[in-house]
Amino acid sequence: MDEDARDFEQFARPHAQAALRLARALVRNEADAQDVLQDSFLRAFRHFRGFSGESPRAWLLAIVRNVSFTLWRRTGVDEPADLEQRLEAEPDPLPSPEARLLESCDADTVHAALDRLPRLHREVLVLREMEECSYREMASILGVPIGTIMSRLSRARAQLVRELVGDPRSRKN
Amino acid sequence: METWDEHPRGALHAYLDGELSLEGSLAVEEHLVACSRCRQELETYQSLGRLLKSARTTATEAESALERVTRTVRSRRRRFLAIGGVAGLASVAILAVMLVPRTDRMVGQVAVVHARAVNAGRSIELASDDPAAIERWLSARVPGAVTPVAGGDGFALRGARVDSLEGRPVATVVYQVRNHIVDVFAWHSPEADMEPRPSMAGRWTVCRWSHAGVAYWMVSDAGTEDLKALAALIKERRT
Repeated sequence: MDEDARDFEQFARPHAQAALRLARALVRNEADAQDVLQDSFLRAFRHFRGFSGESPRAWLLAIVRNVSFTLWRRTGVDEPADLEQRLEAEPDPLPSPEARLLESCDADTVHAALDRLPRLHREVLVLREMEECSYREMASILGVPIGTIMSRLSRARAQLVRELVGDPRSRKN
Repeated sequence: METWDEHPRGALHAYLDGELSLEGSLAVEEHLVACSRCRQELETYQSLGRLLKSARTTATEAESALERVTRTVRSRRRRFLAIGGVAGLASVAILAVMLVPRTDRMVGQVAVVHARAVNAGRSIELASDDPAAIERWLSARVPGAVTPVAGGDGFALRGARVDSLEGRPVATVVYQVRNHIVDVFAWHSPEADMEPRPSMAGRWTVCRWSHAGVAYWMVSDAGTEDLKALAALIKERRT
């Protein structure tokens, strides 16, 4: 019987769109994102019977991320390994009293600004704000402690605001 | 003087994301009452969250990709189980060929021809990236073969081979995009121009279209976006 295929479809379907959105955010190119997605589903299918974690979504999204890594390795477009340290070494984000300015941005502007962020920041924002993942799920997808999630999110949000409305540090108060 | 570091920045994000305990939330709320900068900060990130949510794209293609994958694993398994019943399958296939309309039948045939060539490692009989050389080779084998266009836009021209479709020889031009092989079958045809129409045959994407008196059938394990991009390239180079 095709029980495996049917069960897998039920298992993966609720998270399929999230998987494609994450793939898009990670590889920033529709054709590659589709490849990543298809490869991720195939790998997930091979192993989903052994899945015993608490969040199928986190498990599937972690696979999408790993598959993207193999693509980067092949094409050599991944970001430098010490990016996190370098981002951490930057001065703390300043307060950004820009709520009103943000309201005039449209979806295209948002996607363009996201694309300009480093991947580490892009992925936490997509996972948290678009997929509404919990910190715990994000920690499991990204393989880092919850504390790291919190500090990355804080920097990523501040940086995205700067991308969208300009750097408050470069302005006069 | 207070510094920004004294403000509970990490906690503010955790508060915003509903990740704090009751005690933690109360502590942040107490700070917010006293601190207008943090209130402003929170407000900014709340609008950022709304903005990102509203920019969330739909990704329904993901569901068809999932179906494609489950269909593939299903048919692989079926093939494996059916080794003993080849004769039965063959008669089913003949019946199917009689019942299925011609276009659907072509989709299947094109996919079968492609799969056979790829699986047998004989995708390319003439390896060349020179359209003129490929045309010379094809014209000697298939009457009225269509001149191929050079590679570009990520598509490399790899070569050609001759196949048989619906009992007649057909010129097959082979391109590659990333690690996907794309076969393009083309012949002169009186049918009107038609935009690319993708469909699926098992794990293969098949795409037919016609332009300027030539009918094209393309097949690959690449996605529909890739095939549409190749169609656009061919169209552009031929006009």
